[in-house]
Amino acid sequence: MKFIFGYIKRYKKMFFTAVLFLTIETMADLLQPTLMSYIVDNGVQQKDVKQILLYGVMMLFIAAMGALGAVVRNIFASKTSQLISMEMRSDIYKKVLDLSFENIDRLAPSSIITRITNDVTQIQNFINGTMRIMLKAPITCIGAISLIILRTPQQIPMMIVILCISFCLIGANMWFGYPRFGKVQRCLDKLNDVSREFLTSIRVVKAFGGQQQEEEKFGEAAGEFAKAGVSATRVSAVFSPLINLTVNVGIVVLLWLSQNQNSGEIGRLMASVNYMTQVLFSLGMVSMILNTAVRAVASAGRVEEVMNEVASQKDGEKTDGEGAQADGAAYTSAQADSTHRGAKVCFENVTFSYAGEGEPAIEEVSFVANPGETIGIIGPTGCGKSSLVNLVPRFYDAQEGSIRINDIDVKEWSMDALRKKIGVAPQKALLFTGTILENLRWGAGDATMEEIREAAKIACADEFVTGFEKGYESLLGQSGVNISGGQKQRLSLARALLKKPEILILDDCTSALDATTEAAVLEGLRRKADEMTVLLISQRISTVMRADKILCLEDGKVEGFGTHQELMEGCDTYRAIYASQIGGGQIG
Amino acid sequence: MAREMTPPPGGFGSGRMSRGMVVVKPKNMKGTLRRLIEITKGQRKGLGLILLLAVLASLSAIFSPYLIGQIINGIEAKETVTFLLVLLAGLYLSDWLVRFLQQFFMASIGQRMILHIRKTLFGKMKDLPIAFFDGRRHGELMSRLTNDIDNISTTISDSLSQLMTYVVTIISVLSIMLYLSPLLTCVAFLSVGLIFLLTKTVTSHTRKLFAAQQEVLGKLNGQVEESVSGLTMVKAFGREEALLEQFEENNHKLAEVATKAQIWSGYLMPIMNVINNLNFVLIAVISGIMAANGKIGVGLISSFLLYSKQFSRPFVDIANIYNNFQTAVAGAERVFEILDEESEPADVEDALTLENPKGEVIFEDVVFGYDPEKPVLKGVSVKIDAGMKVAVVGSTGAGKTTFINLLTRFYDVNSGRILLDGHDLREYRMEDLRSAFGVVLQDTALFGMSIRDNISYGREDVPLEQIVKAAKMAGAHSFIRRLPKGYDTLLSQGGAQLSQGERQLLTIARAVLESAPILILDEATSSVDTVTEQRIRRAMLEITEGRTSIIIAHRLSTIRDSDLILLMEDGRIVEKGNHEQLMALDGRYATMYRTQIGE
Repeated sequence: MKFIFGYIKRYKKMFFTAVLFLTIETMADLLQPTLMSYIVDNGVQQKDVKQILLYGVMMLFIAAMGALGAVVRNIFASKTSQLISMEMRSDIYKKVLDLSFENIDRLAPSSIITRITNDVTQIQNFINGTMRIMLKAPITCIGAISLIILRTPQQIPMMIVILCISFCLIGANMWFGYPRFGKVQRCLDKLNDVSREFLTSIRVVKAFGGQQQEEEKFGEAAGEFAKAGVSATRVSAVFSPLINLTVNVGIVVLLWLSQNQNSGEIGRLMASVNYMTQVLFSLGMVSMILNTAVRAVASAGRVEEVMNEVASQKDGEKTDGEGAQADGAAYTSAQADSTHRGAKVCFENVTFSYAGEGEPAIEEVSFVANPGETIGIIGPTGCGKSSLVNLVPRFYDAQEGSIRINDIDVKEWSMDALRKKIGVAPQKALLFTGTILENLRWGAGDATMEEIREAAKIACADEFVTGFEKGYESLLGQSGVNISGGQKQRLSLARALLKKPEILILDDCTSALDATTEAAVLEGLRRKADEMTVLLISQRISTVMRADKILCLEDGKVEGFGTHQELMEGCDTYRAIYASQIGGGQIG
Repeated sequence: MAREMTPPPGGFGSGRMSRGMVVVKPKNMKGTLRRLIEITKGQRKGLGLILLLAVLASLSAIFSPYLIGQIINGIEAKETVTFLLVLLAGLYLSDWLVRFLQQFFMASIGQRMILHIRKTLFGKMKDLPIAFFDGRRHGELMSRLTNDIDNISTTISDSLSQLMTYVVTIISVLSIMLYLSPLLTCVAFLSVGLIFLLTKTVTSHTRKLFAAQQEVLGKLNGQVEESVSGLTMVKAFGREEALLEQFEENNHKLAEVATKAQIWSGYLMPIMNVINNLNFVLIAVISGIMAANGKIGVGLISSFLLYSKQFSRPFVDIANIYNNFQTAVAGAERVFEILDEESEPADVEDALTLENPKGEVIFEDVVFGYDPEKPVLKGVSVKIDAGMKVAVVGSTGAGKTTFINLLTRFYDVNSGRILLDGHDLREYRMEDLRSAFGVVLQDTALFGMSIRDNISYGREDVPLEQIVKAAKMAGAHSFIRRLPKGYDTLLSQGGAQLSQGERQLLTIARAVLESAPILILDEATSSVDTVTEQRIRRAMLEITEGRTSIIIAHRLSTIRDSDLILLMEDGRIVEKGNHEQLMALDGRYATMYRTQIGE
């Protein structure tokens, strides 16, 4: 909640202007019945048309003032709430872009998305509502009650009783309703889960004859949801008519007590009745407001959680330029060399576990990749291949040991300079909505069409792209062209190549390609491989076999590091993988 | 097309619609309404009760101002008003009772209706062919199961009774007002006309603005989704700045258009207030003069003022309710669209039962395309003997998976036929046919249940020993054992806490347990390392001994020992035979094999 106030503070002038004009608007509304009572008491009762007209004009004037207040309030309230939510959205977005993957893993990506989209809207509704009805209801309520009391002090005890009962009822409504609405939300989540699961698993459901089971599961979830819904709405079905009744009884009592009044105060009585209905209206509003507020507080809490995440990584300071200065001439030559031949990557006793706990994913790994070398990385599923390469661009930081690029620890490099050196093509190719060209230019905004096509040709993507009606200008994404998983992988590879990185990380990025295409891609890569250091992860031994050196991992540990020949001689794990894929008569 | 319309914003379960909604117009209002009435059949008595209560509630709301006016008149005239006061109290009491009953019943009737529609829809969905699901986005189908249905019911139970209330209110208030004073009624009408006109002008303006807002919001949310789920690439390519710039641009645009929309729609209330006040003053002045001249009683002024306020409200709200109604009917249309989809073909009359099939499969000149215009399989004929181990290989898009889609009747052939044990697949009972296949698919579908229940999915009361045995065969036992709760470990949806390889092992265990006569593996071990894969295959060979198995694979090394290898290309089988025969043929298979082992 505090965090919302922080934003309101920034726009406090606008916010309070809106509240000020809201007060004017409400006051104008409140004055109408009083003026009406003057018309009745001073005009109608005295049969004085002049008085009637006089108060009539006053009423109109005040109504106009009220409208003016409302219009100004409306403009300020809309602007303020939209500005605040705009800033909030952009702050969280910036924050998310800054977070490390450790933070992201903790919060779960899908939850982060709902926080930026849904929760911010929820808060925005609340802020906007505050300046509309939320403050209006209490002002109306207090104003109406004070006007009743001011003009007819004898009603004070009755008003106190009515208010006490009403607030008890509102409180009870919240008390009983809140947990029930929470349950409705949980049941809805469950229902959504069950349907999503059904939809994503439809083939298995059908193949294994699980329709009955799924229908029962869904029926149960839907039934729970309905039950929770009934129970939650019944709470307000009990309490909100009771609030109505309380105020209505108040009107009857008011009339009863006024039976013996002298006729000069009839107008005043009418005004009081009118004010009572206003009290009723605003009390009804109050429980609605509390509901919105509760939701906004929950949303604010969730957004705040993101904002309070402290990016777990510190940025280093070294850039290529500074590095050259610090390390003198020796480094400069190394650097000049590296742009042609790639960078040197050195792992030294690196140990890493996700979130810093549990079994290490990488344990005591050491190896050196010299500029221009291609290092194949192979090993069983879950042996830590991807975790290993994720440490190079600092997607995660190792707990122990050091990773050095061109002899400088990755933690000393500025994040920007570090990641500029690295191109990544992952197994799950991620392309964004936009044209193919835009996606390819990600790492190289000024690449010429020739360069782009060259990279695409190496990745075997040029052919199918030019086959599209709009070629490189084809749109990707929901409204765009349909491309297969293998085509995505090829585009993602082309994108990484186009960046002309010093270090190229290929994380099983040809897994969706058929053997022939994969061979062609690898052949193309080999021609380029001398210009950069390549870390090549694969399941297939034939893919890594020709690498300069091969790193064989198992359970996060290095089982062997050397050329194919060396590993065949000295590494059991490698030999077993080789046998399983290439053979040696071992297949049953 | 209604299907492609934007679903209501705010995610699932946002429930009622707000003033700022984009109205989606139904295509066939009359027909859909008729079906809606049909669907509420079971709840008609309840609905009637609610509507009756709504009428009663509005009547009490209408008569109380009249009574209050009478009481005030009485007080002014120094008459005893005890009777009238008791009457008023009674009216309020019955008002309370009616409101309570109305809300109380509405809750259960509405929910019962939702439940009914929801179950009907899901029951339909489960019978729909795979083709239906392949062509639609999950989010969209889910929003039909949740949002659309909620909207239908809120509209029926809520808007309908509100509409009822308003109609009753307008009619009776109008008659009372006319009875009290025709002249003042005319004055009151003036403001109604004004309000009506203004509402129309404002909403025609805001509708466009809200539509624009929705569009920008969609773009913005899309970007958020992309950049969060693609954050690795964003960071690897240092795209933060560019994305932020794009985000800021859309964010500003959104704030701008949203502010405009909000300001415009915000004008409605104050303008209406002014008109109401103008109306109030006009009536006060005119009635005051009339009262001063002794033509009417003071109490009448009070009643009339209250009535004129009640009178203008429904006119403003009815437009709103109608919009909500339209959107809900459009939602109902989307639900009915699914109900109208053709279910999977029912079993033919006297369909054959299939018990312990031998497993002989024959494809006879099979032609099939997801779009019949673009065939994926272009005349495939092959005979698979019972007990044969068959492998299907070929490049991406050659039609390998389609082969299996047809065999399991996820899709039916366009022409030609597929025979199992000498009979067309379509002659068998679907249930029997599907249980004849043990399938491990490319995408690992795991459910949010325990590992144990996941392995025994689709069957009941399987003893643990059997499950463990299947898991051992699939090579999954060792990692399951290491989990804190072993076989009772509850998986999150999709098995997110497991690695892709582990997930594949579980789905293999599932197929092993089913021990169906024909085993189908579609890239089942693509994410498992080759050593484990080999182990699984050895176990598989053991269980498939004597059974027919069909395997689709990328890695040629793993299928070398198959009895029959089918090389598919462009929807046709171009080479077939065992490994040695195909190598001797020295055709495409031989080339592929050599590239893969890196020779």
